[in-house]
Amino acid sequence: MAKLFDGKLVITEIPDLLEYLPTTIYLTLVALVVGLVIGLLIALVRMNRIPVLNQIAIAFVSIVRGTPIIVQLYITYFGIPIALKYFNYYHGTSFNINGIPGILFAMVALGLNQSAFDSETIRAAIQSVDKGQIEAAKSMGMNGGQVLRRVILPQAAAVALLPLGNSFISLIKGTSLAFTCSVVEITAAGKILAGRNYRYFEVYCSLAIIYWVITFILERILALVEKKITIPEQPPEDKNASPRKEESK
Amino acid sequence: MSLIEIRGLSKSFGKNVVLDNVDLDINEGEVVAIIGPSGTGKSTLLRSLNLLEKPEAGTVTIDGKTFDLTTKVSKEKLELRKQTEMVFQQFNLFKNRTALENVMEGLTVVKKEKKEEAKKQALFELERVGMGDRLGHYPRHLSGGQQQRVAIARALALKPKLLLMDEPTSALDPELVGEVLLTIKKIAKEGFTILLVTHEMDFVKSVANRIIFLENGKVVANGSPREIFDNPTSDRLKSFLRNINMLQSADDYSI
Ligand SMILES: Nc1ncnc2c1ncn2[C@@H]1O[C@H](COP(=O)(O)OP(=O)(O)OP(=O)(O)O)[C@@H](O)[C@H]1O
Ligand SMILES: [Mg+2]
Repeated sequence: MAKLFDGKLVITEIPDLLEYLPTTIYLTLVALVVGLVIGLLIALVRMNRIPVLNQIAIAFVSIVRGTPIIVQLYITYFGIPIALKYFNYYHGTSFNINGIPGILFAMVALGLNQSAFDSETIRAAIQSVDKGQIEAAKSMGMNGGQVLRRVILPQAAAVALLPLGNSFISLIKGTSLAFTCSVVEITAAGKILAGRNYRYFEVYCSLAIIYWVITFILERILALVEKKITIPEQPPEDKNASPRKEESK
Repeated sequence: MSLIEIRGLSKSFGKNVVLDNVDLDINEGEVVAIIGPSGTGKSTLLRSLNLLEKPEAGTVTIDGKTFDLTTKVSKEKLELRKQTEMVFQQFNLFKNRTALENVMEGLTVVKKEKKEEAKKQALFELERVGMGDRLGHYPRHLSGGQQQRVAIARALALKPKLLLMDEPTSALDPELVGEVLLTIKKIAKEGFTILLVTHEMDFVKSVANRIIFLENGKVVANGSPREIFDNPTSDRLKSFLRNINMLQSADDYSI
């Protein structure tokens, strides 16, 4: 009987797949930054209830959260060229639609998708910052920027870290859908590889290992950061005083 | 001329007139206590002085420099806020910073002092309030009374011309009130100028130089503890004191 499962292949294919890892990482990082920046903007629009933009933001978040990401990728991939064609037609311009690399569509779609989810996280985190501390900072004479940098953002970041980290992890896995925009990242590369020797199962196992290792490392890093910014449970053992020392006076 | 001169301070929330053309002078080193029924504008008065509320009218002159309390110029607002410091009922310490960092924060961020300098100053202030042995403690590691003492140190570190205290002990468990009152008494003796709102009448009697009775947005009585508690002239003040069982004079028929 022919070998049903070639375990060795699972390992030996990994280096070939890793050649495409930079594409996956590049796509992830750009979408991450796009998501955070636009997510912060949406959060600010919504918290300040800026007319018109607020309604647009609400609709945008609702639509993005209510549709599958693969559909969003397809809509971006087909929608942007159609929009460009209209634009060219009405403005007499001649943007080259075929000149746009597929990865750009994927970055836009994944970035916007992230922004919808991040905006809610960021909004909740900023709103969780105690108003009293903001007043204390203001009454010290801090200006708006200082209040934001010294009080609001550090505390909001601590609250948002875990949910943003989770959304980052799902983004990495989400990039595996970028084939819809004809991007060859590691999953697409794996499919191509398997198309040559029909060893689909092995290549998916290799891919699973790669994604899992990346995610595992990321989780470790996040846990370290979290530990760093969490306020310790116990007070420090001061050199000159034990925390349970009786009140002097 | 007084160190602090408040003139024509008015503030409403919608149709609710909370402060109605209030004038108030405070001399250097004086401890002035504001008393009055709940909802009468005591907090609003303090908060208007450092622009946590936006008054409709009023000026305050601090040490010869006059500030328009309705100013929209952020530079003027910051300038005014640097003259006064607020101690809050809920302490409002930065919960992600240690006691030492809380006190250093204003020195490094607002006053742009060097770290070592700020640390020296912060250590001095924390010693002063008896918190010199809790430098690395975060607010969550401290009792309410200890947090409030750190908050007082944080305010003192910025060397305000006027210290504003809004019910600094009313969020505390009864057994922790004493340590905070002692601290306030100590800094009052050291010559800080303080405008204080409190319901601790015995404390007011022993520490305040002057008492303001505020009712319905107006200063109804203004005098020494003796004048206020022992010889109240205003009927409204009398009935307020009777309600809080602080009237002991002969004309108290309400027993
Ligand atoms: N942000 C606000 N919006 C609307 N009304 C307010 C606001 N803050 C205070 N008020 C109203 O202003 C009035 C004065 O409130 P303030 O907090 O100054 O009273 P207070 O004298 O400090 O009372 P207490 O002794 O209960 O602390 C109250 O009627 C209150 O309802
Ligand atoms: Mg009050």
